[in-house]
This record gives sequence, C-alpha cells and structure tokens, in this order.
Amino acid sequence: MDVDRPRGGARKQKGRGFREPMELEDRLQAGQFEALPSDKSGPGPAKSVEGWVVLVTGVHEEAQEEDVHDTFAEYGDVKNIYMNLDRRTGFVKGYALVEYGSKGEAQAAIDDMEGKELLTQIVHVTWAFSSGPIRRARR
Amino acid sequence: MGDNDFYVRYYVGHKGKFGHEFLEFEFRPDGKLRYANNSNYKNDTMIRKECFVSQPVLDELKRIIEDSEIMKEDDSNWPAPDRVGRQELEVVMGSEHISFATTKLGSLLQVQSSNDPEGLRVFYYLVQDLKCLVFSLMSSHFKISPIQR
Repeated sequence: MDVDRPRGGARKQKGRGFREPMELEDRLQAGQFEALPSDKSGPGPAKSVEGWVVLVTGVHEEAQEEDVHDTFAEYGDVKNIYMNLDRRTGFVKGYALVEYGSKGEAQAAIDDMEGKELLTQIVHVTWAFSSGPIRRARR
Repeated sequence: MGDNDFYVRYYVGHKGKFGHEFLEFEFRPDGKLRYANNSNYKNDTMIRKECFVSQPVLDELKRIIEDSEIMKEDDSNWPAPDRVGRQELEVVMGSEHISFATTKLGSLLQVQSSNDPEGLRVFYYLVQDLKCLVFSLMSSHFKISPIQR
C-alpha cells in the first residue's frame, strides 16, 4: 500500500471509484519505475534525456508554433516544441514545452522571457522538470 | 495531506486476449509524475517511468482541471465500466476528492447519447487534454513515444 496516496479523510468524496474500486496491484502500485539519473535529489532544474525543457504558460490561444519558435530561438537552438491544442475548441491550450540542448540556453530563455509579452499576453517561463521532490512529503 | 494538496490520477484499460492492457499516470503533491503503459500486443512490454515536475507544471495542470469544472460533475449517470474497458479519473483538490469511473468512450456520439451528455462531455475532453499534457511531458523528458489509444 502506498502511503503517499491521498486517503479520503475529511474530504468530500464523490464517484463510482469509491463505491466500486478496482484492484490496483498490477498498476501504478507495482513494479519498478525507471527514472533518469540525477546528481541531486532536491528541487532544482532536471536534465531530460536530450536536453533541458522549459515550460511556457499564458500562451495566446491563437499562437502558432512558429511564433513560439521564433521567440525562443533567440536564446539557442530549439530542439523541440510541444504545444497542445484544447481538444474541444481547437485553440492552443495555453502552454508550451520548449526543449534546448544546453542548460545555459534554457536558463537564458527563462531569465529573459519570464513575465514578458508574447502576442499581447504575459507569459511565464520556468523549468518543466525538477531533480527531486518540490516539497517535503507529509505523513 | 493538507488543504493545498493536489493529486491527479488517470487510468484507462481493459482485459482482453492480450492480457491487461492499460495506461495510467498520476501526479503527486510533491511533483512526482508516474507513468505506466502496458501493451502486450506483439509482445510489447510494460513502460514504467517516473520523474518530478516543477510547481508551475502542477499549477498548469490545476488550471486545466479547474477550467474544465469536472469537480462539479458526478458519474452516477455515466455508463459503467464494462468489458470494453474502464476509465478512472481521481482528483484531490481543496476539500474535494473525486474518483470517477466509466467505460471507454469511443466517440463523441457515445457521449451525446448517454444519460448525462453535458457531464460526460466535460470528462471526455478533459481526459484528452490531460493525456496530451502527459504525453508531451513524457516525450520531452524521456524521448519515448507513448502509445495512443
């Protein structure tokens, strides 16, 4: 049994999942999960397999991938951009993941673009991954 | 767990001639993202990956869930899980904890003809948006291509 998994407690519970639970054993609760090697275990930027990934939020719903690319290519070679659409409306969901090859490039993008305007909207630019828990688990 | 704790888990799967095939992921309050994908088709093996995401990623996830207003819905009138499969969405947010379960939804038509089309539509689109976010996180971090189903 996984101690970190929230139990109901004083919370208001709703749903069939409480009334007719399904066995969890061969799912998330079982087996070994593979993680990337990390030299740190606390919060802080974490390296991805092929580079460093930044999260951009507040992306304009009519933004094109090209707009994001042009802006973020100022800070280095953009390896990949993931910008998803809202499945109902077809507009940009509001976030993008931008991948750089080096930590320095990603850091420059964060330092310079955080709080700046992109297509009339203020965007927030931060690291997407952390090298460890972002806060201490409470038991 | 305090009142600011935020937890999300999604599962979709079925048991069939290739065994138990499923996709499941969860985001824990400390940022841990766990992802498991088991497909036995053509002897494909289980993928189990975990990483930590930053607080802004959790905040964006929370925004997507809040905007959907899924917490106001109720799965009482949704089609029950069946032989076709099962989907579960568990969310802990503030003082509320939902754990909704329904069958696999093949199309919007199935949603529209259900007994709660408005509520089920919220679920239908939200889980797609959540899967998109998780697939992008997994792809960018691990360079794996999750199996779309």
